[in-house]
Amino acid sequence: MKFLAMIAVVLTGGLLIFHTGAFPDFGDANSPANTYLSPYYLENGQADTHAPNVVTSVLADYRGYDTMFETTVVFAAGLACFFLLRRKQKPGDTPRMYRHLPTGVTLHIKEGGTLPAEDSAVFRRLDSEFVPHQIIIKNTCRIVIPFIQIFALYVVAHGHYSPGGGFQGGVLLAASFILYAISHDLRRAIRRFPEKVAALFGSMGVLIYAGTGVLCLLFGANFLNYEALAPLLGVSPVMARSHGILIVEIGVAFAVMAVIIWIYYNLSSAGKHDEGL
Amino acid sequence: MIFVSLLIIAGGIFFFFAGAVGVIRFPDFYSRLHPAGMIDSMGLLLSMSGLALYVLSHHGLTGTNILTAIKIILIVIFVYLTSPTATHAIVDAGIRAGLAPWTKKKNGGSDDPSH
Repeated sequence: MKFLAMIAVVLTGGLLIFHTGAFPDFGDANSPANTYLSPYYLENGQADTHAPNVVTSVLADYRGYDTMFETTVVFAAGLACFFLLRRKQKPGDTPRMYRHLPTGVTLHIKEGGTLPAEDSAVFRRLDSEFVPHQIIIKNTCRIVIPFIQIFALYVVAHGHYSPGGGFQGGVLLAASFILYAISHDLRRAIRRFPEKVAALFGSMGVLIYAGTGVLCLLFGANFLNYEALAPLLGVSPVMARSHGILIVEIGVAFAVMAVIIWIYYNLSSAGKHDEGL
Repeated sequence: MIFVSLLIIAGGIFFFFAGAVGVIRFPDFYSRLHPAGMIDSMGLLLSMSGLALYVLSHHGLTGTNILTAIKIILIVIFVYLTSPTATHAIVDAGIRAGLAPWTKKKNGGSDDPSH
């Protein structure tokens, strides 16, 4: 079986390498992409999609298929991390540290020992690599995180006019959550943004993107041809393309944010979701 | 007014330069963090406020220019919040990982040419 797979891989690789010679040279001014495609985007992008940022109009409108499957790839990466790393474990499988708050004594509970209640007011769970209370870092993060999130929303919504869009905004949103997980601890971050929510948001983002395409189909146009949504949104076809780009970008932002947070949870705790960095 | 802003920007560039030299020349991890933090605080404050002054004085006191200046000042505010915190966290991590600060005594009171 391994031998057959080897033959298939070598054959495919050989074919790919063999046919690279047929490609136009890098930066060739006479290649098909440079003779009619790029000039069309540059000349008609603004008139077609009402988005001054050509990158956004190409990415989310002209080449919507490409971006849709990019989003799917991001989601698949999150799923792959989950399936490879995630380990379910019962409390008590690994040693844990607790602090008895009234006396300040730190307790080390071995495997199989009796653990205090999860919401105990007397015992507080500590990470095994003990990190003392970092008041400076926690407070700075508390001040900065809301601004990061507002800026992320701005980047998503302003993608038509300035550099930005769903991928960048989603990464910024994820960064704010990861900052929270680093400055406090992983368990608290998971309580705020549970794993199930991450999985749900990730699939929801892909669903928003693909669903927009299916909606266009239902209105009698091609897949991801947002012009068909004009009667639904109550605007002109050009503005419908502009709004369609925004809807799709929101889907991308959901997917990217959730997947990056999810991957961080799995990588930083080796799949245990117990103690982070 | 342009000369004033140019002077301020030049001051900022001086701090950037001094910081860059310091990062290369200082002997160990902790002392190198000091010029690195200085670049972010003093160099950025001077160069950014010089730019804000330039926008306002050279292009006139219109609404868009004032908005630009406010955005530039916001950059300074956020870097002022985060950069010292980051420096603090890095130093803390160094101490926690057991890296001892550099002292002259270690080399018998003489300058070590390897540094």
